[in-house]
Amino acid sequence: MEHIFDFSQVTTWFHDLLTLTLGLGDFWAILIECVLVGAAVLGAYSVIAMILIFMERKVCAYFQCRIGPVRVGPWGLLQVVADVLKMLIKEIFFVDKADKLLYIVAPFLVIFGSVGAFCFLPWNRGAHILDFNVGVFLLTAISSIGVVGIFLAGWGSNNKYSVVSAMRSAVQMISYEMSLCLCLITAVILTGTMQVSGIVEAQSGPWGWLIVQGHVPALIAFVVFLIAGNAEANRGPFDMAEAESELTAGHHTEYSGMGFGFFYLAEFLNLFIIAGIAATVFLGGWAPIQIGVEAFDEVMQYIPGIVWFMGKAFLLVWLLMWIKWTFPRLRIDQILKLEWKYLMPMALINLVLMTVVVALGLYIK
Amino acid sequence: MKLEFLSFDFEKFAKEMQNLKDQKGFDFLVTIVGEDFGEEGLGCVYILENTNTHERTSVKTIAKVVDGESVIPTVTNLWKGADLLEREVFDFLGVKFLGHPDMRRLFLRNDFQGYPLRKDFKATNEYTLEDDQEPDYGLEYSLDKDGKLHVKENRLFTNDDYVVNIGPQHPSTHGVLRLQTVLEGETVKRVYPHLGYIHRGIEKMWESMTYPQTLALTDRLNYLCAMMQRHALVGVIEEAMEVELTDRIHYIRTIMDELQRLDSHLLFTSCCAQDLGALTAFLYGMRDREHVLNVMEETTGGRLIQNYYRIGGLQDDIDPNFVKNVKDLIKYLRPMIQEYMDVFGNNIITHNRLENVGPMSLEDCINYGVTGPAGRASGWKNDVRKNHPYDMYGKVDFEQCLETSNDSMGRYMVHINEMYQSLNIIEQLIDNIPEGDFYVKQKPIIKVPEGQWYFSVEGAAGEFGVYLDSKGDKSPYRMKMRPMGLSLVGALDPMLRGQKIADLVTTGAAIDIVIPDIDR
Amino acid sequence: MENNKSYFGELGHGIKTLATGMKVTLGEYFKDYWTNKSTEQYPENRKTTLHVSKRHRGRLVFKRNEDGAYKCTACTLCEKACPNGTIKITAHMAEDPETGKKKKVLDDYQYDLGDCMFCQLCTNACNFDAIEFTNDFENATFDRGALVLHLDKEVYQGGSLPNIQDGGAEWQVGKFNTKKK
Repeated sequence: MEHIFDFSQVTTWFHDLLTLTLGLGDFWAILIECVLVGAAVLGAYSVIAMILIFMERKVCAYFQCRIGPVRVGPWGLLQVVADVLKMLIKEIFFVDKADKLLYIVAPFLVIFGSVGAFCFLPWNRGAHILDFNVGVFLLTAISSIGVVGIFLAGWGSNNKYSVVSAMRSAVQMISYEMSLCLCLITAVILTGTMQVSGIVEAQSGPWGWLIVQGHVPALIAFVVFLIAGNAEANRGPFDMAEAESELTAGHHTEYSGMGFGFFYLAEFLNLFIIAGIAATVFLGGWAPIQIGVEAFDEVMQYIPGIVWFMGKAFLLVWLLMWIKWTFPRLRIDQILKLEWKYLMPMALINLVLMTVVVALGLYIK
Repeated sequence: MKLEFLSFDFEKFAKEMQNLKDQKGFDFLVTIVGEDFGEEGLGCVYILENTNTHERTSVKTIAKVVDGESVIPTVTNLWKGADLLEREVFDFLGVKFLGHPDMRRLFLRNDFQGYPLRKDFKATNEYTLEDDQEPDYGLEYSLDKDGKLHVKENRLFTNDDYVVNIGPQHPSTHGVLRLQTVLEGETVKRVYPHLGYIHRGIEKMWESMTYPQTLALTDRLNYLCAMMQRHALVGVIEEAMEVELTDRIHYIRTIMDELQRLDSHLLFTSCCAQDLGALTAFLYGMRDREHVLNVMEETTGGRLIQNYYRIGGLQDDIDPNFVKNVKDLIKYLRPMIQEYMDVFGNNIITHNRLENVGPMSLEDCINYGVTGPAGRASGWKNDVRKNHPYDMYGKVDFEQCLETSNDSMGRYMVHINEMYQSLNIIEQLIDNIPEGDFYVKQKPIIKVPEGQWYFSVEGAAGEFGVYLDSKGDKSPYRMKMRPMGLSLVGALDPMLRGQKIADLVTTGAAIDIVIPDIDR
Repeated sequence: MENNKSYFGELGHGIKTLATGMKVTLGEYFKDYWTNKSTEQYPENRKTTLHVSKRHRGRLVFKRNEDGAYKCTACTLCEKACPNGTIKITAHMAEDPETGKKKKVLDDYQYDLGDCMFCQLCTNACNFDAIEFTNDFENATFDRGALVLHLDKEVYQGGSLPNIQDGGAEWQVGKFNTKKK
């Protein structure tokens, strides 16, 4: 692992630059760093959102025998830029009888939950933004704030479709949170830590990815996590809240301009976050592929961690898009049936199975 | 079918109708035609079918005038499908049906003055642009002991009901249909359809058009059944005029009808997928429908507005490459239908979404007049091509696709199987198109002899029929369609009670309603 | 699904059908990956691979012989046949200098493309084979007034796309002309 670039060299150097070279006090140094990191996070957030939107359009087009956007820019590359521009200059209106406070607050809550969860992703060795010892636990807690936003949006916009959608999404998200957490706990049993960086470190040896290390139970946990995560991100075939053929646009029917833009961004980023967490927890995050052959491992280690992480995450994003663009939508009672009758019991049994595997040392070391 | 009316007067009407249903077995009310018979007064023509023998009969009754209002006893107690049909007659002719629980206007605005299909109606341009005040109650008329007209208000819903308008602008009502839905949580309690958002008054326009001109409007009804609809209209006029057609015309008309059915069913299966959220399956279907349209366009010059049949034959002979193209199309389509099944129809999610959704039993289907694939999914042998064969249908070998599941999955499967049957029919005919004229020359001014006729064809979504009353002029005295969709919309409410909102969308998709056909 | 299927049987069956679906979409994803699928690229292809049926009804034109003469005799049969009042013919009676007989002479043949519903009743009614529909479909204008055409006065050269008058490019059932060139 010695060849993997450690991003903490950069951060330490920068901290030293501020405190030692420029002689700033701790307060100012940390303030400057926080502002810079915040800007970087928001920048990365919006850039990734744009990439995802473009990717979704192209991937969906190719699944549907179309070619997707081609008119704006070469191969349609500037289409998303044009869309964002349009969204920014659109009028923001308020529904007459809406609950104004909730109506305005809701999109911010959604985006807050999404950005919060986004900060937990490990980009590279030493490049974690938030890295607590209860990391995974906190991550699920913060990402749940988004549900409140969707619920308030549905309730606050005084639209009957929106209310139905809000109820649906609340029910759905609370249910799927269960299996999501159970799967993460399954992983935690094996890695022995809840800290995100620790989870990745635990997977960096030869054949170290959790999905290999924990074989059967890890694989089951991985699949259940992807399904539950897909539902958590409100994407097809679980896009009950939006369900455009039933509830027009569901909870964001009454939003325009950036209010709608926030929901839209958060939806795509949630997809990326789910893929990112799955990549981190089950596919080793930034850890390169290691097979125990020295020459091969060394070459792999020269590929930067961020490439590994992004590669894995986008592969999973593509997989989720493939699923979304293949299946019809489920009905609300079927979604709940799937969760409570199939996924939940499976995740619980799997948890026990993993405990047994770990206790008996049956995992691949 | 030339109509020989049984005439019943007001006093005997209710009893005789009961008799026809119970004793003679006329359990399917095909349609009700409201007509202004001039000096006789307002009245109705009922066309009935016995679903066992497929015998048809027609009944004529003249409304009785009470307190200046024309009244006829309702038949909704006998045939539930009469609900919307009677409301339509009320809307256009002002005949009040005694005992009908919900006498509201069906197509026109509530502030519309007068009844447009009465012969003495004078159109004015005094349209108010104010809000259309919509009553939340239906009127029930009855005669009291003294023979006076008595009115009772029936509330449609209470103040505590959670009422959601699905439509008129809604992604999955396939046009401007408005379903006023009473909800209890996600569960549907009642559905009230509101129609007429694209009502164009085609039947009224027909009364002032020459016969060739009337044809131009049929393609604009259910825009997926242009061929079949024009077939019905051309058929009734040709039957009345006793035009002898060549075999070539019969062959080509049958092939074109089946191509059109493929087009419509492809769109149905695609849209069904889209309404369930499977956009990819939708686009696969649309992609292949494009090829069907290409083949038709080479011959007819149109994709939606086909404009191909005319009185006495066809607009033009088939394209030189038509036979080859159709054969290629058949070869191309067969594996594709399997692809829809793989990607959508066999899917466990689709099965869960469609099975036991929008259930309707065989008896109810007949009672509500749910014809076409929707009725066949409940095991009702209602295919007009089999029961009252026209053109080549009596001579080709094909199966009537039946299902017994009574639900939306059955309706989907009937459509899929019918596509295979359509391909079979075309395959049998395409190599044997006989030589001959594609058009039998008609007089420059077409006049139809006096009398009444009804002719129906199997449209893609049900029976499509045209009633023609001619007084021997160059324009029809009264022409009325039996739209495919109206009885389907009428059956939505019983199908959907107790189902989920998502099932409303599914059922709407699975019974294949197209709004311009309902509204006319 | 039969209800008597076991818990795991149902699960297995479900996974199998879902996998079939995913196999189909994956197949379509990679099929024709580089040949642009089914999207036809109008307007880039309008002079190259575009196919429009020869019988497509784009607009009404006068049939003319080589020296540009039309056959219309101003008999107004088409005007009477039209359900929409799309055609308006004005004519006057004039004496033929050669034969000395009185004959109708066409002053103006006004055709409102914006009102036309392409029902072909006018061409059916015409006894002189004077009018026909062409497949010239690029008729969009910014002004309704520009849709009112005077067929006797215009010199029709096949509209904006003379190359598609006979149908344009070749086409085949089951294939799309997806190329721009």
